Amino acid sequence: MLILGIETSCDETSAALVEDGKTILSSAIATQLDLLKKYGGVVPEIAARRHTELIGYVIKEALDTAGKTLDDVEAVAVTSRQGLIGCLMVGVAAAKSISYVKQIPLIGLHHIEGHIFANILSNPDLPIPHIALTVSGGHNMLVHVKKNCRYEILGSTLDDAAGEAFDKIAKFLGLDFPGGPVIDRLSKQGNRKAFSFPRPMIKSKELDFSFSGLKTAVINMFKDKIAHGETLPLADIAASFQEAVVDVLVAKTIRAVEEHDLKVVSVTGGVSANSRLREVFAEIGKKRGIKVFFPKLSLCTDNAAMIAAAGYARMLMGERSDLRLNVFPNAPLGG
Amino acid sequence: MIVMGIDTSGYVNAVGIGDGSRVLADVSFPARTDSLEQIVDNIDTVLKSANLSLKELEGIGVGLGPGSWTGIKVGVTVGKMLAFSANKPVAGIPTLEALAYAVRDKAPLICSIIYAGIRDTVYASFYRSGVKEGDYFAGDVKDLARLIKEPVTLVGSEINRYYELLVKENASLENTITTIESLPSGAAVACLAAARLEQGQRDEPLSLTPLYLKESTAKVFVNKYKGEIK
Repeated sequence: MLILGIETSCDETSAALVEDGKTILSSAIATQLDLLKKYGGVVPEIAARRHTELIGYVIKEALDTAGKTLDDVEAVAVTSRQGLIGCLMVGVAAAKSISYVKQIPLIGLHHIEGHIFANILSNPDLPIPHIALTVSGGHNMLVHVKKNCRYEILGSTLDDAAGEAFDKIAKFLGLDFPGGPVIDRLSKQGNRKAFSFPRPMIKSKELDFSFSGLKTAVINMFKDKIAHGETLPLADIAASFQEAVVDVLVAKTIRAVEEHDLKVVSVTGGVSANSRLREVFAEIGKKRGIKVFFPKLSLCTDNAAMIAAAGYARMLMGERSDLRLNVFPNAPLGG
Repeated sequence: MIVMGIDTSGYVNAVGIGDGSRVLADVSFPARTDSLEQIVDNIDTVLKSANLSLKELEGIGVGLGPGSWTGIKVGVTVGKMLAFSANKPVAGIPTLEALAYAVRDKAPLICSIIYAGIRDTVYASFYRSGVKEGDYFAGDVKDLARLIKEPVTLVGSEINRYYELLVKENASLENTITTIESLPSGAAVACLAAARLEQGQRDEPLSLTPLYLKESTAKVFVNKYKGEIK
């Protein structure tokens, strides 16, 4: 079954063609990096306007790259839950129109379910059940993937998502946006033990996260130095900060896996591209006999291929949306 | 040429069908917050009630706004993707022009007005016998008073409120202005689009973008301090 996936929940306009939830024929992504750099983050109305301009071109690009036309497409899958409301609406409006004209099934999906499927799409041997750590600039959750498309949320962030903390610290240090890749790169030249930053909630039994305090601790330690124009050891700060975030993410995930007697972890979302996170997970996984899976780098950040893959799984279970499909910006991950 | 017109810029889902001179259907569905939920159903309902299929349509007209920022994104995206998917020619029509067109026989000079969402700000444009005169106006309705120098008919939603504000600004306008209360019409968009398409003036479907007339507040703010974005 050839599925057209559409994803516009935040700042990436994307469309993809995926065959049988497994084979990516094309994945077109128009980033709004120029806008992000300019405004230091995502401005919802500006992002939504950009989606409106680009959506048609991105869908055409996905079709052309795959050498297909809309007549070949057998279903449309679109992110309709969780994200920026105006942005989600553009993707859903496009998906409904295509479904209506071509008389093909439509399915609306939760953005986080898409990320969970990014890893299933990248690693066909990823077993279910497993524990998924979804972590990006907008979300930070631990999910027990019990069965195909059946989830239990074990914990989520009480304030900032880890990716958001990366962005804010990068901004504070005068680094580029988005902060994740920049801090990752810079950290390679720094000392991870140069500064001892707090590991918020690392000892707590809860599986929730909190990164706002860590961010404040970093800012408080250096704001006077910045005000006095002192040169900061940027690489050391970046490496020490990153280590604190990684420590918390790994410790909580391992706790969740062991509490559920599982041996499999799926790390997904934009921050899953972080090289230190991958390194530490690999080390500890080896030590404890836990298999840790990561998506292909191209599927870490928002993309529509993961939405098409999730759509396929849901359709196999007989689920469909009707043409009244609406958007729900704050919907929890269900099912 | 049978054309369907869609306009979701004004808190109604307006869907109509026209063939240039004749209106075949013209329906406004109330849709203050569920424009997206309803729009495809609305289109289907109008097509069925006109006893037409998508295949029989020869073109699509899309109301580009200005108006509700969220509303226009829905209509423009649906319009462009319908045209692309069904391989139909498309024409984007400014909603201000469609408002004026719908009452074109009532007066020689028409000023269409659309609420801009904050206090008494509006978008407006003048049309003389269907031809746009001057630039689009975006600002406080009282500043529109300076632009009215001869008898004019105002058309739009809540139009009497704007009439009163204009007369308050300049009492001499009391006898110069007449008003017609009206919502965006899908049939007006369809008829204007049909006329344009018949002259070969197609828009490239994927390039259709809303007519905002006003930058987002964040962009205005940042541009002021950081310089123009490319």
